Amino acid sequence: MELSSNVEDKSNLREIGKAQAENAISIRDVKFRYTNRSPYVLNIENLRIQKGERVSIIGPSGAGKTTLMRLINGVIEHESGEVKILGKTFDGGSKKSRGFRRRIGFIYQNFNLIDRASVFENVLWGRVAYINPLFSLIGRFCERDKQAALSAIDEVNLTQHMNQRTDTLSGGQMQRVAIARVLVQEPEIILADEPVSNLDPALTDDILNLLAEVSENHKVTLIMNLHQTDLAQRSAERIIGLRSGEIVYDSSQERLFNHVPKSLFDPEVTSLKMPKNRN
Amino acid sequence: MVDFIGRMFPPNTAVAKTVLASTLETLQMAFAGTVISALVSFPLGLLGAENLSPSWVHQPVKGFLSILRAIPIILLALMFVSTVGLGPFPGVLALAVHSTGMLGKFYAEAFENASSGPLEALESSGANWIQKVRFGVLTQVAPDLVRDTLFRFELNLRESLILGLVGAGGIGFYIQLYIRSFQYDKVATLTIVLLVIVVLVEQLSVAIRKRLR
Repeated sequence: MELSSNVEDKSNLREIGKAQAENAISIRDVKFRYTNRSPYVLNIENLRIQKGERVSIIGPSGAGKTTLMRLINGVIEHESGEVKILGKTFDGGSKKSRGFRRRIGFIYQNFNLIDRASVFENVLWGRVAYINPLFSLIGRFCERDKQAALSAIDEVNLTQHMNQRTDTLSGGQMQRVAIARVLVQEPEIILADEPVSNLDPALTDDILNLLAEVSENHKVTLIMNLHQTDLAQRSAERIIGLRSGEIVYDSSQERLFNHVPKSLFDPEVTSLKMPKNRN
Repeated sequence: MVDFIGRMFPPNTAVAKTVLASTLETLQMAFAGTVISALVSFPLGLLGAENLSPSWVHQPVKGFLSILRAIPIILLALMFVSTVGLGPFPGVLALAVHSTGMLGKFYAEAFENASSGPLEALESSGANWIQKVRFGVLTQVAPDLVRDTLFRFELNLRESLILGLVGAGGIGFYIQLYIRSFQYDKVATLTIVLLVIVVLVEQLSVAIRKRLR
């Protein structure tokens, strides 16, 4: 799929939709640090991501990109401020239920598949939130779950590898399995944490195209952490630049989408700061 | 020593029936002791694994398992013989308790070695603790659990011989009986059968472990 060819056709529809859209994610005055004595690794005054948006978060290593993903996913809990995800507000310390976690899919840099299990099993187990925990003791899934897994495997073109162990697959195929595993969750938000950093350039395009396709087809909010600015520009509609835990660039508030400040990655520049805009 | 070994030959095959019965009893003791200890060790291993249980749970559990391992098996056997009487039953109990100390620790370590990435992915999909263990941990460490259990079965087979010496049944009971009555030719028959059994069980164990990679 050629990403750029579809952008214009879909942009009008998206604009109409977005005018009425709710926020998928709303973060306000959120601070996070790993220990009480360590410096803040995340300090976000205001971030809103609308439902159906395709966003790329860029920034140098240690900027807080993964921490932001983990915060949205609920793996870590913020110290202060408000995090609102899919209409639900989370204060620091509030736990996310199984049903809620299911609504956010996470794609990892290292795939995080179970090596000894087959492609089908890895994908099917993405449906855990839909089954009774007691049934899961005997590994019992209903026909609907199995059909969902088969359909997701088909969508990522891995049907012929369905019964293969995942540790025998290539990197690109493993990431496809991870995408299928997220798809069976039927998520409303997909978080992809550096999904292509372990892949060669050909596979990188392949996976980014697949993610774009999936977010379009399933009307899912897609948020990707990417290191390369050019990849972010090609695959996302909006780019958010993070540095030292703060948002220092947001293409939705800039005139030129393609003008990503190079200084974002320049350690010499210390005065980068977004103008305050609390909408 | 030469005189002792010399008196073992030729082995007396007249005791074949006793040998077969006691060998079967030894195998049953080792098997039952291993199964019981595996069943008890599994939940203890889960509770003793750092990545699956909070520190106020896994630390006392690991301490308890250390205590079980520290008690000599002979002492356990003597305790059980004096409480439940002679025969294979106290032997099975002694093997089960002693094995739990080791298997519980091995299982906990196997669970701890499960890669955390897939567990995080499962949790993110909405898995609860039971589902994380079932799909994430067990799938990853199943070969390790089987390997450890088979290894313990081999050990229990040897340990059950020693237990026979203190009246806990099995082939060991007859070995000490024949040695005390100077019937070394019968001891030879028992020893040969024992060697064959130990080698066969080891070979079987190796074959199963190879298939589980």
